[in-house]
Amino acid sequence: MRALAASLGALALLTLPFWLANPYHQHVVIMAGIFTILALSLNLLLGYTGQLSLGHAGFFGIGAYTAALLALSWEWPFWLTLPSAALTAGLAGLGIGRLALKVRGAYFVLVTISFAGVISLVSINWMELTNGPLGLPGVPPAELPWLSLRTKRAYYYLVLLGAALTYLVCQRVVRSRLGRAFLALRENEALAESVGVDPTRTLVAAAVLSAAMAGLAGGLYAHYTRFVSPEVFLFSYTVTMVIMVVAGGKGTLAGPVVGAVLFTALPEALREAMAWQWQMLAYGVLLVLLVFFLPRGIVPALRIHRVRAPALPAPSFLGEVSEGASTAPSERKMLTITDLSVAFGGVAALAGVSFAVRPGTITSLIGPNGAGKTTAFNAITGYLRPRRGRVSWGDVALTGRRPCEVARRGIVRTFQKTSVFPALTVRDNVLVGLHLRGRAGVLPILLARRAVREEEARLAAEAESIMAGVGLGHRRHETASALPYGEQRLVELAVALAAQPRLLLLDEPGAGMTGGEKERLIELIRRLRDGGMTVLLVEHDMRLVMGISDTVIVLNHGRVIAEGPPAAIQAHPDVIRAYLGAAARA
Amino acid sequence: MDAFLQHLVNGLVLGGTYALLGIGLTLIFGLMNLVNFAHGELYTLGAYATFAAVALGGWNFFVAVAAAIVVGAVAGALCERVLLAPLRDESIDTTMLVMIGLWIALQNAELLGWGGVAKSIPHPFPTAPLTLGPVGIAPLRVFVVLTALALIGLSWLLIQKTRLGTAMRATFQDRETAALMGVKIGRIHTATFAFGSALAAAAGALLGPIFLAYPSMGDLASLKAFSVVILGGLGNLAGATLGGVLLGIAEELGAGYVSSGYRDAVGFVIIILVLLFRPSGLFARSQRIG
Repeated sequence: MRALAASLGALALLTLPFWLANPYHQHVVIMAGIFTILALSLNLLLGYTGQLSLGHAGFFGIGAYTAALLALSWEWPFWLTLPSAALTAGLAGLGIGRLALKVRGAYFVLVTISFAGVISLVSINWMELTNGPLGLPGVPPAELPWLSLRTKRAYYYLVLLGAALTYLVCQRVVRSRLGRAFLALRENEALAESVGVDPTRTLVAAAVLSAAMAGLAGGLYAHYTRFVSPEVFLFSYTVTMVIMVVAGGKGTLAGPVVGAVLFTALPEALREAMAWQWQMLAYGVLLVLLVFFLPRGIVPALRIHRVRAPALPAPSFLGEVSEGASTAPSERKMLTITDLSVAFGGVAALAGVSFAVRPGTITSLIGPNGAGKTTAFNAITGYLRPRRGRVSWGDVALTGRRPCEVARRGIVRTFQKTSVFPALTVRDNVLVGLHLRGRAGVLPILLARRAVREEEARLAAEAESIMAGVGLGHRRHETASALPYGEQRLVELAVALAAQPRLLLLDEPGAGMTGGEKERLIELIRRLRDGGMTVLLVEHDMRLVMGISDTVIVLNHGRVIAEGPPAAIQAHPDVIRAYLGAAARA
Repeated sequence: MDAFLQHLVNGLVLGGTYALLGIGLTLIFGLMNLVNFAHGELYTLGAYATFAAVALGGWNFFVAVAAAIVVGAVAGALCERVLLAPLRDESIDTTMLVMIGLWIALQNAELLGWGGVAKSIPHPFPTAPLTLGPVGIAPLRVFVVLTALALIGLSWLLIQKTRLGTAMRATFQDRETAALMGVKIGRIHTATFAFGSALAAAAGALLGPIFLAYPSMGDLASLKAFSVVILGGLGNLAGATLGGVLLGIAEELGAGYVSSGYRDAVGFVIIILVLLFRPSGLFARSQRIG
């Protein structure tokens, strides 16, 4: 059924110019193709990484000007100007991405607007290069050595090819390790970093790909209209792209295509009926209405939910643990913390803390609320820059490294507040956890190399065994945010275990669990240690802590007040005074 | 040197109104966590309201400016109640999209209502400039800068000295705690948005007579307001005031000594540089909100 619809659609697209005799209609279809490329390009950033660029007209314009200038001044042939347009815009994307992606959200929006604004002013004022507001007329038509693409009909096929290629690139990227990293950063940047996703590199890759696609659209536009002026930078182009993506459904592959076709055809159809001011007014109102009534867009709203096989009965929770999690004894290293100090404003959260975590042991960090336990986790794993002190892993210094670099060394932490990738399925959550277990780069992904496909199959199999291991196999296709609390904690654990840590830092893993669940958690942590993993635990449940720890370290007011085996700690007078005293009486 | 002083004075006049725009936006941005792309449209509204009252209604100019401010406040309150209140728990991206939609809709409504031709707003001031040594300044500009300063002073009093201002500062610092202490967050949001919109409309009513009123005048105003907010730091009233004056002067100097074609690039470059190198604003040390 799907295949039939797809082949009918392809046939319709391929024969379309023969149905449309009117050159004006052919023009509309070509513009729809160019906007499809633009919408797909914006969607890669907005839909998948969650970063809204309002500077996309800038990349489009850079592409258009590059193609026009190369063709006019240097008389480059069309088959060179078009890739150059994409390349130049991609380079601009690299520059802007590296600068702008230091900031997120609203600030990213503002930097991208400013970038497009500056580029537009340059195009108006740099008379020698761009001919200023008059623009560049007489861009040569598209000609290949053996084929002329002068006619609208021929150009339609060129644009169709461009749009199809762009779609294919988007499809390959979003279904790859890279695309999962985009989504992970959109959903929960801190968690993504904890399993080794490098936010800067990943987002810059998205910016470069997205900008290059917009540049390709610009090049196609320049050779089609054969005239380029500063109008290509018009903000209304960017707004049109945003509306296409939001209306069609951001974060879906088909959404931008549907949005682009709809919002190129609709205004043209309404052209006779209303002046363009009315159309723009309608656009604005429509955008507001969409947010209120169809916030996820047309495509997700139309998507028919496939009926799934009834859920299997839940297997025993925390059943088996993946064998992959074991660590060879030769790789065991000691975590050493020396004189670690962190201050928030004038308050010292950690005041010269030193301790060591012996390999292959379970060490617990306890202390009253505000003692600095989570702060210690944050400083060890790179989420906080300590004011003073050292963290080392074996003989490697971790201090000053970013969380994703710490994760690359095999040190993975969980978070006190339940932290999953809410909109992703359980399986995709675990696959993000496996990020560092794959190595496919951008180029092999785009070329769909066999190594990439084999890696995907291997990661999928590992994900299955991890889900089965923590007892989430029957939930694999459910969205993480839809799971009950206890199972979300399991997802969290599965994500961390997927990263195959050598040192696992668990921040209150037992919080909110029932007695039976905690028993199994203890069982699991023991088994991880016996497999060779080192575990550092922050936990409030004393029965749990005293039951499994090899060593207990007690923090109070940012200092270590005691350290030793559980029995010694329970008897330690300072500890009883600071902490256990209250708990023992309760 | 004389030319430099002249640029400085012109920059101060511009800067005063930029500060008004910036203060309004920084409150809305900081307190409501809302990227208000429609801010410039309230500025446009202020200019057109003044034009309508003076040129069509035959009102006194000063009454018209005051009326424009009131119109801005009412329009702002209405926007907040209708569009933003239902979306209070939505993400910042969602509300930003709504404000982009509102921006496009309002601008094109203005285009349809008033036409694309720029309107000049009549004012009662003599056109001959007052000369102070080497510097000449039109009496209208003196009025603009004094009114802007007075409004900035009033805003400061409102934020620092009134019950509403205290509640606003509390909400900015910690919304949940403020709500627990009995602050009605919904009302604070409405008041903040109305107040910020009134200031934007005031800036439009003041700059409209100096330049012209036209439908797309708000685009640049929005960008300038954002530059000011970023320059001054989020939710920082003193920072926005200083940032506005700095931007006005920087633009005048840039236009005078570099190229008038790149005048509006100054704001863009400021946004880019400050966000990249001092993301908390140039005046991050000063007290936030006031």
